[in-house]
Amino acid sequence: MSQAPPATAAALAVEAQGLAHLYTGRRGLLPVDFALAAPGVVAVTGPNGSGKSTLLRLLAGLLRPTAGRSLVTLDGHAMPPAARRTMLGLASPELAFYDELTSLENLAFAAEARGDRAPRAAALEALERVGLDTRAGDRVMTLSSGMKQRLRLAFALLHRPRLLLLDEPGSHLDEEGKRLVERLADEEGRRGLVVIATNEEREWRLAAERIELRGRGLGHPA
Amino acid sequence: MPPNGSSSVAAVWAILRKECRSEWRTRYGINAALLFAVTTLTGVSFAVGRLPDRTDLLAALLWIVLLFAALASLAHAFVREVEGHTLTFLRLVASPTAIALGKLLFNVIFLAVLEAITVPLFLILMGGPPVRWGPFLLILGLGSLALAATTTLVGAVVSQARGRGALFAAVSLPLLMVVLAAGVSGLRAQWDGNPVSAEARILLAYIAVVLGASVLLYDHLWED
Repeated sequence: MSQAPPATAAALAVEAQGLAHLYTGRRGLLPVDFALAAPGVVAVTGPNGSGKSTLLRLLAGLLRPTAGRSLVTLDGHAMPPAARRTMLGLASPELAFYDELTSLENLAFAAEARGDRAPRAAALEALERVGLDTRAGDRVMTLSSGMKQRLRLAFALLHRPRLLLLDEPGSHLDEEGKRLVERLADEEGRRGLVVIATNEEREWRLAAERIELRGRGLGHPA
Repeated sequence: MPPNGSSSVAAVWAILRKECRSEWRTRYGINAALLFAVTTLTGVSFAVGRLPDRTDLLAALLWIVLLFAALASLAHAFVREVEGHTLTFLRLVASPTAIALGKLLFNVIFLAVLEAITVPLFLILMGGPPVRWGPFLLILGLGSLALAATTTLVGAVVSQARGRGALFAAVSLPLLMVVLAAGVSGLRAQWDGNPVSAEARILLAYIAVVLGASVLLYDHLWED
């Protein structure tokens, strides 16, 4: 959190109060408390099954907590979980695209659904940012796993979100791709808040703050 | 910044276009539906020939062919998203209501395309009294909308459940019985020269109830 905060970024805050999630028959996330403010980069670490991905899904409003709550405040307004998709970007391994559509069509669809008036231009810009513009016309089914990971990053960046949630962002990426993640985290961390869930030292070292989840891991029984 | 009305319309439109493009690329549903409709009609036609004076059988047969031909595709509108792991992608770009409305519109268009091919073939192969096109299209249109609204709602609700195939059948069966009963009765009435206003009112009321329930339910889907 050491960069000079742009005026627009300072108004974003993320808070967890006893936030926890219980999947059927097993714990997803043990209660966790934290308070974060933009700008900056924050890492979430912890053993497998400790709830890193669950935490990001809870913050994104894709899961309802079974205990506690998460608060995302933008410009003084609390964002209800159902509305957070308008201001956050999420890249996670479980995010899949339509195989029968091209990279460009997938992102243009996302931009159009979000109300972007120039969806194709926005999609091309996002693809260019992650170095996938040369494969814009290729169907997703033909992309390698590394290219699909770049597409996830492009999707997360598509609408220039103030809150960027990256779950294992370097997975499947080559050295150039990992440098891309570092560059994106640096750039986006200056204008908003980036939360990276990872156990890769190279990735959590990008963060000025770290939330360490201390669950016993591997989704132990409740 | 909750999504406003214009962005919701944009989302519904985008989802409808995406569904049409995906179907055009894969022919996932239409090929299977047309195969079922054509083989069933051809088989029945070979077995019993034309049925010029059996309006009861004609009405029932047309709805059975349309229902079973369309059901596999309609029921899988959301299951495809779950099994293809694209539901998270969809949820990040649109509200559950916008997603469901986009899919409902696609299902209505899918049924219209299916009927545009199946109904003329049915009339040619099975014979029957002259069609009164106004009442015929009214009952067919309302019945199709009711069918699409029901399968979209039930498909959305059961999409993430285990054993969703059995659950879809168990939940949708009693609902579709109303549609089938009114649809068959209405088509028979138009062939017999009787008014169809009672059946049309039943279908309209049914559609209003299902769409009302859909609007209330959709935004609470997929939260866990």
